[in-house]
Amino acid sequence: MDSFTQRRRRDLILAAALAVIAACVPFFVKDVYVQNIMVLTLMYAALSQAWNILGGYCGQISLGHALYFGLGAYTTALLFTKFGVLPWFGMLGGGVISALIALALGYPTFRLRGHYFVIATIVIAEIGFLLFHNWDYAGAALGIDIPVRGDSWAKFQFTRSKLPFYYFALVFCCVAWFITWWLEDSKWGFWWRAVKDNPDAAESLGVVVFNSKMGAAAVSAFLTAIGGAFYAQFVSYIDPESVMTFQFSLLMALPAVLGGIGTLWGPVLGAVILIPMTELTRSFIGGSGRGVDLILYGAVIVVISLARPDGLLGLFSRRPASKGVSQ
Amino acid sequence: MSAPLLETRGVWQRFGGLIANSDVSISVAAGEIVGLIGPNGAGKSTLFNLIAGVLPPTQGTIWFDGKDVTRLPAAERCALGIARTFQVVKSFETMTVIDNVIVGALIRNDKMRDARRKAHEVLEFCGLAPRADKLARDLIPSEKRRLEVARALATEPKLLMLDECLTGLTPLEAQSGVALVRKVRETGVTVLMVEHVMEIVMPLVDRAIVLNLGKKLVEGKPTDVVRHPEVISAYLGDRHAVGA
Repeated sequence: MDSFTQRRRRDLILAAALAVIAACVPFFVKDVYVQNIMVLTLMYAALSQAWNILGGYCGQISLGHALYFGLGAYTTALLFTKFGVLPWFGMLGGGVISALIALALGYPTFRLRGHYFVIATIVIAEIGFLLFHNWDYAGAALGIDIPVRGDSWAKFQFTRSKLPFYYFALVFCCVAWFITWWLEDSKWGFWWRAVKDNPDAAESLGVVVFNSKMGAAAVSAFLTAIGGAFYAQFVSYIDPESVMTFQFSLLMALPAVLGGIGTLWGPVLGAVILIPMTELTRSFIGGSGRGVDLILYGAVIVVISLARPDGLLGLFSRRPASKGVSQ
Repeated sequence: MSAPLLETRGVWQRFGGLIANSDVSISVAAGEIVGLIGPNGAGKSTLFNLIAGVLPPTQGTIWFDGKDVTRLPAAERCALGIARTFQVVKSFETMTVIDNVIVGALIRNDKMRDARRKAHEVLEFCGLAPRADKLARDLIPSEKRRLEVARALATEPKLLMLDECLTGLTPLEAQSGVALVRKVRETGVTVLMVEHVMEIVMPLVDRAIVLNLGKKLVEGKPTDVVRHPEVISAYLGDRHAVGA
């Protein structure tokens, strides 16, 4: 009984220690290119953490999370360029809109099981992409250029340094981790894992499977949209191609799959390995090697599913219930 | 006498052209252990699933604790006090034994700490406490059956429904299973069990209901039921002769 509490406390301490270390890294790493990779790594760690809530814990594999990412980015960018609304409100608004859309989409799709659900998520995200691609008000295929109004936290714009973005991404990552940590030992967390393992048994024990999935989808979409809003501010130019393509959906799912699906640390571990690898291959190979990173993803998926279906975390402890800690 | 805890009134279930249950009316009084028996294809599992709320009957009503539950989904029936186990065990394989039971305990406990305490009590009661931190998938089959019962008991049911939970166990395991069912009844829980193994069920149950070809054939004391000519011809005849 106590080993459980101890494990949770140990996770929390480890996370705090890692956060402090991550906060100190920019003092030693001044290279802008490397800082850029670090920002993306933290962002994808958080996004994958969000994806993991629905895909990992609740077992509803989504390959359409680019939709929520794009909605977060577009809501923020549109509100700022058209109405002068500060990005922070756009970020929240995008989160709420995404959560509502996730609920609306969940209503029909959560009646689907297995492969049909995955296919539905891909198709819906593709429809979203096409809608934005043809929506003139939102810049259609040209996208939205977010005008520079000077560096400030209020407008969440920084042209001279990447550090503010780095620290925001770090906080975002910590918040996503902490929410997962907290949910893990909550009613919802237990319901989700039960729904993933066996929906019929869950239902027989009083778990309303449909509502559980809806809850997971809403939280997951909300957090994903926050990431999208952040990304819009970070790159200050968005178009459907840069925020809503299938590749983003993959990039949110893969770190969790690589690190350990449905685990607390899987998304972080996966992102730390996968994102730098992607960015580095891209820059080494340059413009002509477009698509090589995709080949890498494919290779990663194949190797993981063959050798370690539980993800890399499975290498460290075969059993999550930690035997060494008791007493 | 007071109203029965569970009652089905004229329940029918058709699957296309197949009639799985026709006009089945049974009742279970509070505190009883009732056995639902019959040969393969008699409609036991269908009736069981109708009561558990897996699907609504084509016709007829199901009453539990004075309420019409015919149209309620399984989760709501669980909230009212109907808990079940599955014939083919459905553990939450990637979760630990204790976490499996906590899922059940959450329906009556809002706080995680209370649910955890309840789950530990139930594991103790079912003799699974030493396995609490194991993953469900690492349990041996008889332990998995026990986990099914533990999980159901954690929902603090009034009626516990056991679907062939003693089938396929070694005689020794089955005997300790029987002891567990008796212990459950002593805590005031009513038990409705579907079973195949006559030798085990008959001494255990207070009353047996025999289904055959979707219809209720006979019901009564187990000793009377096994002597009933219709029951012998329908099902028990050969088996019983071999067993005796």
